[in-house]
Amino acid sequence: MVLDDLGSSLRGTLDKLQGKTTLSEDDVEAIVKEIQRSLLSADVDVDLVMALSDSIRERAVEEEPPAGTTARDHVLKIVYEEMVELVGESTDLPLEEQTIVLAGLQGSGKTTTAAKMAWWFSKKGLRPAVVQTDTFRPGAYEQAKEMCERAEVEFYGNPDNDDPVDIARTGLEETADADVHIVDTAGRHALEEVLIDELERIESVADPDRNLLVLDAAIGQGAKDQAERFHDAVGIDGVVITKLDGTAKGGGALAAVDQTDSSIAFLGTGEEVKDVERFEASGFISRLLGM
Amino acid sequence: VITEEELEAPLESLELELLQGDVEMGVAREITDRIREQLVGDTRKQVESGEQVIERAIGDALRDVISVGQFDFEERLRSAEKPVVIVFTGVNGVGKTTSIAKLSRWLESRGLSSVMANGDTYRAGANEQIEEHAEALDTRIITHEQGGDPAAVIYDAVEYADANGVDVVLGDTAGRLHTSNDLMAQLEKIDRVVDPDMTLFVDEAVAGQDATNRAEEFDDAAEIDGTVLTKADADSQGGAAISIAHVTGKPILFLGTGQSYEDIERFDPDEIVDRLLREE
Ligand SMILES: Nc1nc2c(ncn2[C@@H]2O[C@H](COP(=O)(O)OP(=O)(O)OP(=O)(O)O)[C@@H](O)[C@H]2O)c(=O)[nH]1
Ligand SMILES: Nc1nc2c(ncn2[C@@H]2O[C@H](COP(=O)(O)OP(=O)(O)OP(=O)(O)O)[C@@H](O)[C@H]2O)c(=O)[nH]1
Ligand SMILES: [K+]
Ligand SMILES: [Mg+2]
Ligand SMILES: [Mg+2]
Repeated sequence: MVLDDLGSSLRGTLDKLQGKTTLSEDDVEAIVKEIQRSLLSADVDVDLVMALSDSIRERAVEEEPPAGTTARDHVLKIVYEEMVELVGESTDLPLEEQTIVLAGLQGSGKTTTAAKMAWWFSKKGLRPAVVQTDTFRPGAYEQAKEMCERAEVEFYGNPDNDDPVDIARTGLEETADADVHIVDTAGRHALEEVLIDELERIESVADPDRNLLVLDAAIGQGAKDQAERFHDAVGIDGVVITKLDGTAKGGGALAAVDQTDSSIAFLGTGEEVKDVERFEASGFISRLLGM
Repeated sequence: VITEEELEAPLESLELELLQGDVEMGVAREITDRIREQLVGDTRKQVESGEQVIERAIGDALRDVISVGQFDFEERLRSAEKPVVIVFTGVNGVGKTTSIAKLSRWLESRGLSSVMANGDTYRAGANEQIEEHAEALDTRIITHEQGGDPAAVIYDAVEYADANGVDVVLGDTAGRLHTSNDLMAQLEKIDRVVDPDMTLFVDEAVAGQDATNRAEEFDDAAEIDGTVLTKADADSQGGAAISIAHVTGKPILFLGTGQSYEDIERFDPDEIVDRLLREE
């Protein structure tokens, strides 16, 4: 079964259905309650959880399990399908020339992700370059430079220039020979109008193929508004979830992909450049439901 | 008399409201249980509606949790033997280094001198980051080479403070996730070797349900005396404050409210309660 890594209380509830061929409304209600608990403690947006419960409840009661399928497996399949519907497949990333801008809240993991993604593209046989436009955070230039050295990829930054837009322009020119350009930006959040404006200007100069929103796996219910604001400003084409090597489940990303009508591109699982994976739906969904 | 049935709906909606405000589920449940226990069977005053009684109980319960152990940080520093050694801990990217820089300015404006010590000998650009802060703040900084022993850096800063009559040592540590056994063991070692006067746990106001996990694990590895909650300017409701205060039993001392040195405030328990209970 796709969902073999379920949390114990959810598994317990489902196991009670063992052998049953039809489900009572009470059975369904008990399962929906457990799923709600799992998702809410995984930081999935409250409204999304309610909407998801409604569709699961409705389908579980209305749809007949196909012949030979137990009620338990039928419900599991419905849950899985509804979750996949929400999460979607991994963001499409063709292995060709492209420019990607990374944006997100302070400390979410953008600079680390820039180096990781560059490393990932280089392993795919492309030639990446990272352009560091963060002129605000102390040590940002040195951090990005060192991470790019570790990833053995080209790097552009200019600690003497305090105009991020100009750095983006110059950096893309200076690294014109690279196939994949990854533009790192300073951290900012939804309420920082001046910084959101700045992001818009960087974006218009970089003219990227994709804007990715970098989200900490531990972000709470604020993920929705944050994603909405970034999407309004520059259009978000995909989400990167970082720090999944901790215990946070990354459920904030669901609201983000829902708000931006996008998908998840990469997962970050450590501080080193190799600690990156392409998103894969079933493992992520199991984690969300795993408690 | 207040009945259990009467409480069910308002308490359920309170629980949802708390979850929506990022209070951790187990903590939210304990708060609602506590209110139920307290109110069921109580007689209400003639003038009060059930709703009013419940509303007051909710506010009281939240205030109880969030006000835990509040103490006067400045007064504690002033009355302690110098140098006062403070170590900052927390997961990656929450704002430890920035908070140290802010506190250095905060202390200076209160006539207390400080030296920063970069116990983050791991992350790329960590030395450059804190050195740049030290330069901007015109304050002293002790660093070692990348890969060095973090405890040794902080220890050096303590010796420096001793020799130069500096009041406070602000010891930074590398960000780490509580799932890394090696790094948590290293944190225990720093705590043992440095034996700080205070350990401040740093977490961010935008954090969700995981806040309790990490607060507990960090408190286990190096017992904390209080918390600095950063990024309160990012418009989350800050329920993480409730979660952290509840599981650690230690006060939230400061709020980080932006990226400038001035953006640090003494934490006001009432403000978070108001935020959480504010009607949307
Ligand atoms: N454990 C772990 N740490 C990570 C991961 N990604 C990033 N980090 C750490 O998180 C912290 C913040 O990462 P940065 O890359 O500096 O984040 P940022 O978004 O560039 O930060 P600002 O530029 O200040 O907004 C650093 O300590 C990183 O090492 C991850 O997947 N796992
Ligand atoms: N908006 C806002 N940003 C903050 C606040 N505090 C810190 N930051 C930003 O968050 C990012 C990370 O801050 P750091 O101080 O490097 O965090 P850290 O915990 O030392 O990170 P690591 O050492 O990598 O674990 C930086 O971009 C800071 O400017 C705050 O209160 N509000
Ligand atoms: K973070
Ligand atoms: Mg950065
Ligand atoms: Mg730091």
